[in-house]
Amino acid sequence: MAVSAKQQPVAANRAGTERPASAYVGTTIRYVLLVLLSLFAFTPFILSFLGTFKTSAEINAFPPQILPEQWRFDNWIRVWNFTIPSVQGRLLPLWLFNSGWLALVNVLAQIFFCSLAAYAFARIRFPGRDLIFTAIIASMAIPAAVTLIPGYVFYSRLGWINTYWPLIVPKLIVPVGILMLTQFFRSIPKELEEAAYIDGLGRFGTYWNIALPLSRPALLTFAILQFQGSWNDFVGPLLFLQRPQLMTLTVGMSFFRYQYTNDLTAILVGAMFNAIPMLILFFIFSKYYIEGTSYSGLAGQ
Amino acid sequence: MAVSTKATAPPKPKASPLARREALTGYLFIAPYLIIGGIFTYGLLLYVFYISFTDLTASFAQKPPQFVGLSNYIRAFSEPDFRTSLGNAFWYFVIVTTFQTIGAILLAVLLNARIKGIRFFRTMLYSPSVASSVVISLIFFWLYQQRGFINYALGTNVAWLREADRIFDPMLQAFGVASAPNFLRGPSVAWTAIMVMNIFTTIPTFMIMFLAALQDIPGHLYEAASIDGATGRRAFWYITLPLLRPVIALVLILGTIGTFQVFDQAYVLTEGGPLKTTLTPTLLIYQKTLGKATQPEAAFGAAMAFILAAIIVAITIIQRRYVERSNQYD
Repeated sequence: MAVSAKQQPVAANRAGTERPASAYVGTTIRYVLLVLLSLFAFTPFILSFLGTFKTSAEINAFPPQILPEQWRFDNWIRVWNFTIPSVQGRLLPLWLFNSGWLALVNVLAQIFFCSLAAYAFARIRFPGRDLIFTAIIASMAIPAAVTLIPGYVFYSRLGWINTYWPLIVPKLIVPVGILMLTQFFRSIPKELEEAAYIDGLGRFGTYWNIALPLSRPALLTFAILQFQGSWNDFVGPLLFLQRPQLMTLTVGMSFFRYQYTNDLTAILVGAMFNAIPMLILFFIFSKYYIEGTSYSGLAGQ
Repeated sequence: MAVSTKATAPPKPKASPLARREALTGYLFIAPYLIIGGIFTYGLLLYVFYISFTDLTASFAQKPPQFVGLSNYIRAFSEPDFRTSLGNAFWYFVIVTTFQTIGAILLAVLLNARIKGIRFFRTMLYSPSVASSVVISLIFFWLYQQRGFINYALGTNVAWLREADRIFDPMLQAFGVASAPNFLRGPSVAWTAIMVMNIFTTIPTFMIMFLAALQDIPGHLYEAASIDGATGRRAFWYITLPLLRPVIALVLILGTIGTFQVFDQAYVLTEGGPLKTTLTPTLLIYQKTLGKATQPEAAFGAAMAFILAAIIVAITIIQRRYVERSNQYD
């Protein structure tokens, strides 16, 4: 179900092909709608980005102005330098770093373990394979809230509160990744791998040297979606990372919001620190985002 | 064909050493899942199920947990906060899944065109889905301020996130209903404001799935239909929508799972207020489990979590049965 602009004849325009005049009007209306909706979709980001340069008097002014009177970076510097008495050093760089490395660890582990399992489900025959695969899909129907929040007690028993273990170990391998990559492996021809296997490369060698390089686009799509999922995750870090110096950016921002309820410019800067890295990643890899979401159907979950 | 009786049936051929090695490799490759999933998905599920029948607290101090039977479940049903939160979640589910599904279909139809710059528009329109729920909440926290852009744009003067008035009240008054149970009075203004924000970010997420499905519809179906005189709107109703049925079912199911578990937005924006009109089941489970504002009662939280899960699973089964009908065109 990959999204592409070229492959399929476009259904919606079909009806208009015999009537060029009305097709022309249709296209114009479509463009107008697209432009307006795109503006609408992006407005909250632009308004809040511009808001970060305002003074607190400007941000509370009514009627609100779109542009700041002057481009001041005070708010950015103030938030960057944010400290609390109980923790030494700046918190925001720490939170950025925590979010970053945690997302990276999650993604690297998931790429390896999910693709390995997916390769087995797609290529190797073993008793119970289909049953286990069905169980994996079924496990995706368990609402996360059931195990995640009450699971606090379980992780607490393990002594894992205020450590990163509950955010790493259970996510070393995730059902959505197995599902997505199994589908991908099934879609690529076996011939190359068979030749390599006969050449004595063995199963792992064939997986590592042949199948993995072939699936680079799918792996990249999966990696991006999971990086985003980890970076944006809120409930998990909120439950398990209660000390400010351990927090990730999302939890840090919520902590920050309750510290500075009336400091709207600071809250907006915090939101921007969280959003901008994701938006940049998205604009670079938008092709992969849009394809991946369509065939996994479960972005970043 | 040889007719074999039970007695003479040949024994199943023993697996060859090669096949056995192959199977072993397979298990080795999926071993990480068997271990991790076994402990942290299925094991944890059983553990949480077990504690829901005990009196365990999250601080689990002195004594070992005592078995208390169904009392946590019985208590959950009579707990006013839990009922309130389920009512809130119900309205959230109904309103958000409805509008996000319709919005996503319309947006996908709009974006399903081979025109110049369509890639750019797809990128722009997908962007609200990229930011985290926390970012979106912080941004809307500002936009929803009484002196904020939303009041300015609408020409209103509402404290969006602090308004406990219910949205069906004006309608009920028009019909002369003086007092009604809170649930029937609909969601509060604050809760509705959060729904609107949520719909804004989830329409693009689901739009992508509809767009992919639209591109899989073979063009000849529309050609055949146009010969029969079905074009435009009629083609949409009689061809496009029926073919989208499986995706609609999937989107409804994912929407149901997501909306009933709504947490982040309520936590960041309102903490369940005003007057508990944005209290969600997961927020309540969180508060009870960790003992925020109350005694920690992990077992009670676990029981509420299982009730919530049962509701979600029941609704998704119904959706699967009535919406996800296999289409006859394939």
